[in-house]
Formats: sequence, C-alpha cells, structure tokens
Amino acid sequence: MNALDLLLLTSLGTVLFSVVFSASLTGRMLLTMLYAVQTVILFQIDAGTEMVSSFGFEIFNHALGLSFNGLSWFFALITLGSAFFAAWYGLNQQQKLLHVGLSANVFSMLVLLSAGDFLSLFIAWELVSWSGVLLMVLGKQESLVATLKYITYAIAGGMAVFAGIILIYSWTGSLAFNAVTENPLSLSQYGTLAILLIGGFSVKMALLPFHLWQAEAYALTSGPASVFLGAISARMGLFAIVITMMHVVDLKTLDSIFLIPELFTFRDFLIWVAALSIILPTYTALRQNDARLLLAWHGIGQGGYMMLGLLMYDQMGSAGGLLHVFNYASCQAILFMSVFSILHRTGTTNLNQLGGLVARMPLSFLAMLVGIIGLAGLPPMNGFVSKWLVYRSLLSDGMAIVFLASVIGTLGTILSVYKLMHNSFLGQLRVEHEHVKEAPWSMTVPMMLLAIIIFITGVMPGISLELVANAQSAIGLTPVDYHLGGVVSANSAISGDLDMIWVVLVLFSGFGIAAILFLSAGKSRRVHQLDNYAGGHFLNANNQYQYSDNFYAGLMHIIKPWYRYSFKWFEGAVVSFVNLAAVFSRSFFNQAHMLIWMLVVVTTVMAVAII
Amino acid sequence: MKEFPVPVQTAEDPSVKKQSGNIFSNVFDELVRFAQSRSLFMLHYCTGCGAIELPPAMTSRFDMERLGIQPMVTPRQADILLITGYVSVKTLKRVILTYEQMNAPKYVIGICSCTVNGGMYWQSYATAKKLNDYMPVDLYIAGCMPRPEAVISGLRQLMEKIKIGEANSWQDYFKRYDYYLGNQQRLFGETWQTPTDIIGESKHYSLHTPETEGEHTRLLELHQRPLEPLEMRLGLSEKTEDR
Ligand code: SF4
Repeated sequence: MNALDLLLLTSLGTVLFSVVFSASLTGRMLLTMLYAVQTVILFQIDAGTEMVSSFGFEIFNHALGLSFNGLSWFFALITLGSAFFAAWYGLNQQQKLLHVGLSANVFSMLVLLSAGDFLSLFIAWELVSWSGVLLMVLGKQESLVATLKYITYAIAGGMAVFAGIILIYSWTGSLAFNAVTENPLSLSQYGTLAILLIGGFSVKMALLPFHLWQAEAYALTSGPASVFLGAISARMGLFAIVITMMHVVDLKTLDSIFLIPELFTFRDFLIWVAALSIILPTYTALRQNDARLLLAWHGIGQGGYMMLGLLMYDQMGSAGGLLHVFNYASCQAILFMSVFSILHRTGTTNLNQLGGLVARMPLSFLAMLVGIIGLAGLPPMNGFVSKWLVYRSLLSDGMAIVFLASVIGTLGTILSVYKLMHNSFLGQLRVEHEHVKEAPWSMTVPMMLLAIIIFITGVMPGISLELVANAQSAIGLTPVDYHLGGVVSANSAISGDLDMIWVVLVLFSGFGIAAILFLSAGKSRRVHQLDNYAGGHFLNANNQYQYSDNFYAGLMHIIKPWYRYSFKWFEGAVVSFVNLAAVFSRSFFNQAHMLIWMLVVVTTVMAVAII
Repeated sequence: MKEFPVPVQTAEDPSVKKQSGNIFSNVFDELVRFAQSRSLFMLHYCTGCGAIELPPAMTSRFDMERLGIQPMVTPRQADILLITGYVSVKTLKRVILTYEQMNAPKYVIGICSCTVNGGMYWQSYATAKKLNDYMPVDLYIAGCMPRPEAVISGLRQLMEKIKIGEANSWQDYFKRYDYYLGNQQRLFGETWQTPTDIIGESKHYSLHTPETEGEHTRLLELHQRPLEPLEMRLGLSEKTEDR
C-alpha cells in the first residue's frame, strides 16, 4: 500500500465520515481536518515521478489502473486546498448534503486525476459530473433549474466523450493511454477525436459555446459549495483536455488539421475559442447585478486564459496557463467567500442594494480587495504572475491580435471587479445595514488565510511555480526556469524576466512615500458619510447618493449592440429542435399500427445498409 | 449701523504669526507657503452671470493653469471657493455647506459686484447682499462682470497673500463662528443647520476662542442632531446568532 492508495482510501473514508457525522459541529470540524490530512498524505507522494496505485482491476481483459504524476499532483493540491477552505468556511452550515457532496466531489476528482487509461477516465468523468450535482442543488428553486440545465449539458458532453473513447477502442483495439500514440491514425480520425473529446471536456470547462449553464449552476447554490465549485470544479475539464492533448491529439496534429485550407487550423480555432471565452463572458460579468453571478461569469472568462496558455504549449505559456489554475482558484475562492459573507449578514447579493459595508465588515472587505487585485491580474497578488506568463508567451509567439483580445478581457475584469467592490463595500452605507456585523470567525479566518496565500504566492511565485514545473515535465514539456521571485527567460534573444520581489519592493516603496506624506500632514479627522458633497445638496439617510444602478452606462451603451444573446438564441434553437423531435417520436409511438411502421423503417434501413 | 465686519488684522492679533527664532522652521514655513500658493485647486461655485468669464480665464487664452490653479470637483480637495455672482438665499445655504466642507486652509473669492454689496440685485428680496456677512471673504473682484484679466490679477493677489502668510481669514470663521451663524440664522430662520461640526473643527485646528460659541450656537445646539462618525467595527457576534 503506497501513499496514493492511502490518499484514495482516506478520501473515500472522508465521504463515509461525512455521511455519518456531518450533522454535528464537531463532526464538521473533524471533516475539515480530514481534508488537511489528505493534503498531508498528498505531500508524501513525490510529484516528480509517477506513482501507480495498487488498486487496479480487470474488465474485458483490460487492466484498469490508477496512477499519479506531476500534473495530477498539481490539480489534486488545488482540489484538496479548495475543499479544505470551503469546508472550514461552511463549518456553520448544517445542510448535510453540502458536506457529503463536498467530500464526494473531492473523492471523484481524485479518482479522475489518477485515471490511468481511457475507461477509468470516462468512469471518473461521469462520477465527477454527477457528484457536482450534489453541490449545485443546495440553493433555492432557481438552483434546481440551473442544475437541470447543467445535467443536460453534462450528459451531452459525457456522451461525446464516450463516443470518442469508443472510437479510440474500435480504431486501436486498446483503451490504454498510449493506444493512439502507438497506433497512429489518419488526420480525419484525429479530427473526429479532437472534436468529440475536446468538445466533450470543454462542456465542463465552459468554453464557448457551451458556457451558458455554468454561471447559474455555480453561483446560486449555498456558499461553501459555490466556493468549491467556482475554484476548481470546472478545471477538471482543463485537466481532461490536457490529457487528451497529451495522449490523443497533440498540438502538432491539431496544427495540421486545416479548417480553412492553408489558413486556419484546428489549433487556431481553439485559440480563438479561448480568446472569445475570455472576452464575451467577462463582459457578460460586467452586466450582472448579482455579485455571485458576476463572479461566476468571471470563472468562465478566466478559464479562457488557462486554455490559451496551454494552447501555446511552450514553456512560458503552459506554465502561465497551469499557474493560473492555482492562482485563479485561490482568488475565486476568496471572492466567493467574501460575497457569501455579505449574503450571510445582509441577506442579499444584489449589487444595487448594498454599499458602504467596509465600515461594518472590514475583514470581508480586505478579503475582497486581495481577491479582486488577484483576479484582475495586478501586482502584488498572484494573478499577475500567471497572466504575465500568458501575455509574454503570446507576444513572443507573435500573436498580437490574441494578445489584444486577452488584454481587452483583462480590462473588462478590472472594470467589473471594481464595480463589485464599489457597489458592495464602498460608498454609502444603507440605513438597513447600519447594524450589520462582521461575518463570524469561521468565515473570516479562512478568508484571511487565503489572502495570505494569494499575497505570498504573488510575491514569491517560485513556490507555486515549482508545482507547475513538475506538472509541465509530467506532460512532456520543458519545465519553466523559475526561482523564488519569478521566472528566467530561457530564450535570451527575447529578454524579459520577471522578479516579483523587485516588483513588490518598488510598489511598496511607492506606498511608503504616500504613507509618509499622509502621516506628515498632521492628524486627520473623520467625518460622517452624510457630511458629503453632492453639488451642495443637503444629504440625509434617505438620499441614495450611491451610484450603482446601470453602472458603466456609457460603456454598456457602446457594447450593447454586440450582445444580442446569440448564444442564448442558439441554445433555444437546439432545445426547440429536440422538443420537436420528441413530439414526432411520441406521435410515432402513439400510433395504432406502430409495429408495422417500425417494421417498415427497419427493413428500409437494412435495405439501405445492404445496398 | 453695525461695524464693518471685514476682519482687520493688527499686530496684537494672535492670528498673525510672529516670526519665531528658529531659522529652519521659518525657511520650512516659507517653503510650505510657497508650495501652497503655487498649487491651488479651485471649486468654482457658479452662482450668477459672472461665471461666464471663467471659461476664458481657465482655458488657453488666459490660462490659469500656468499659475498652478486648476478646477476641482469636490470641496474636500479644493482650496479656493469662487463665488461668481449674485447669491440667492437658496443658493447661499448650499454655498455655506460647501464652504464648511472644505478643508483648511481655504480661501473665498467673491467675483462680481453682486457679491460685494448686492449690485444690481440690491433691491431683490431673494438675494443675499454681502457675502462676507455669512463667511469670511479673502478677496473681492468687483465689476459687472470683471474681465478675465481682473480675475487673474485677483488670483495673483491671493497667491501673493498666501505666500507672505496673510491669507488667514478662514481662521476667522472658526474664531467668530457665533457671529457668522447669527447672520445665517437671521436670513434662514432659527432651524438652520448644516451637517458639519464647526465647533469641533475649531478645536481640531486649535482656533477655539470665546467668540466661537455664543447665543446663536446655543440656539443651534437646541435643535441640532449631530451626525456620529462611522467607526470601523470588528464586531464579533454571539455564537447563537451565527447558526
Ligand atoms: S455683478 Fe453683474 S455680472 Fe456679476 S452677477 Fe451681478 S449682475 Fe451678474
């Protein structure tokens, strides 16, 4: 029994434990500890080498095995970390389904991450898809609707993956990961597999145009569930896509499949899908008035950066893409925590009904501040490093237009996270929130810990880059050349290293100068928020001088024509088509002479088949 | 007739700072005053027709910015309050609120004859005649309306006053708040109040004198509900409530 076996067993044990004990507070505390224990066990596994689990069984003469490498290790760490913080954050949540769902998700994700062949990958994929449902149904009525939508998408995606795996089996006669690499296929076969597998996995990742389900499903459920789902759940799709690129169709093959001859390859297509997945959902996020939905839409947009980085498949780009999984998970988790602590205290996340909460919930404010700096990709938080790597790789590959697209996406991110913070924490405190208190310790402590992690991995990205380098060598790439403060550019022709320690030093010396000016100006005096300038108007508590509704009206006016809900329209068209087909088939089966008609159809099909 | 209420500063006036012996602090004070006079933010409260002469004064023809004077959108960051014409009673309330919200040191310039003595609106029932009844005015620029050259030269005079340390009339508002408040109450009625706490501020600037408070401030205190500052709270809640 090695460490991997122990990890999987502990994880399974956690599920059983959560089923029995999650009703009591002590039980939930122990549950949180169990995630920490799993993390400790994970650190016993050497990330640099491959570890094969002794659990394996045979099915139809195929040995199914579980094994762990650097890539799995990297994703497993993020999964366990997210689960640990989500469970801590949810200590006071008594919903049993939440805790069972969380542990079940962690277990199924660990199985997926350790999948050693296509069949176990598929089985684990379905496990992950279905255990996700447990966490999505915890909200009000609207969360059920969102979950149903998710199930539809997940089944469609799962079917596509299944079809792809069956094709691999019928073409190569094997389900092992090396099946395709050992029996090269034709280009059209590669193309089919790429469409089925990457398409199917990208449903989970919510790449365009399969993104419509995600925001509601992740956001409208209970707080800790949102934290976990938002942080890591969708990234399982990314993991599976990496597996596909590693074992089925590598990027070279993708680059030789031309969609428009001599002009536009499958890889270009994916790059543009990723770029559009950054821009469109980010600007949709800008339009949201519910803080939870705003964040969840960002999750879709940030997935685009990871995909983009991986599609570059060079040292820097893939490091950026993978690092962004880690960085984004920490930022999204802290942001969801902050937003749900607002919901916990005020009962709303409607950005038009909040404001000024910084005076009442300073720790949640601090958490959100750290989170939005990270999500927007600004120093000194960790989001800057990963985005910098992706940008740099785009630039050195000469992809100026895609670079521009990702910068536009970042602009949208900055604007909307500003909206998030301005409308909830800054500005005027509403009368009904006069007596709001800071969130309880069980919520603020994990937030503060995450904030520390975000800052430290921002100043010293070498810590997380080490894990990324392991993951890179596991997928057969040259690992990034890192040191504690950042990265060294391997290609000396294109200079440009990054040392965050210096960046942060410069940044903080700027703050220092500002602090000296502030402190030397003598003592300051606090004034009341109603002692404020509104063009000379006399304000009272019933005056709403907080500008929150129709935020960015000018920008919205400009981009509105671009948003004709074409994806919603497309989705609606597919739904109508399926409905229509259902009506026809029902009327077919309802006929009196159904059997005769069936006979006719079968004979025709057979006749056609014989001819 | 009342005495002419423009504060006259004499040598005994404690607001005129005596040169202290320390040469370094003198140099430092002078440096600060020079810097202050060269970076003035101006809140132009465009009350009357005189405002029309400000755009040419601000833009490229006369270009105030070469003197370091720029428009500013809020009183908290502004140094100069520019009243550009007749002030109706309704507007005056807003002007006073805005003035009180400015951070010291602050300077008031009355542009146009209407701010000096009512000008051509002298007979109007709705305008305030003399601006310096209601707030200390540093400088008047008379004319109906004064041309941009006059505005600029007025601003230069103010800069000069700041540089030699004589533009101190803002202190008068804190020192003789009761007097100004009395005039305001006469015009607006007894229930007049602003959300600002002038008495507290006069203590903050250590400008509190016996004349700061008087019968008018007592009248104000009778009905004033002061706004409590919002303090930061790390409120920890009882366990039962969290569940
Ligand atoms: S002085 Fe003349 S220009 Fe100025 S506000 Fe009065 S009437 Fe208008």
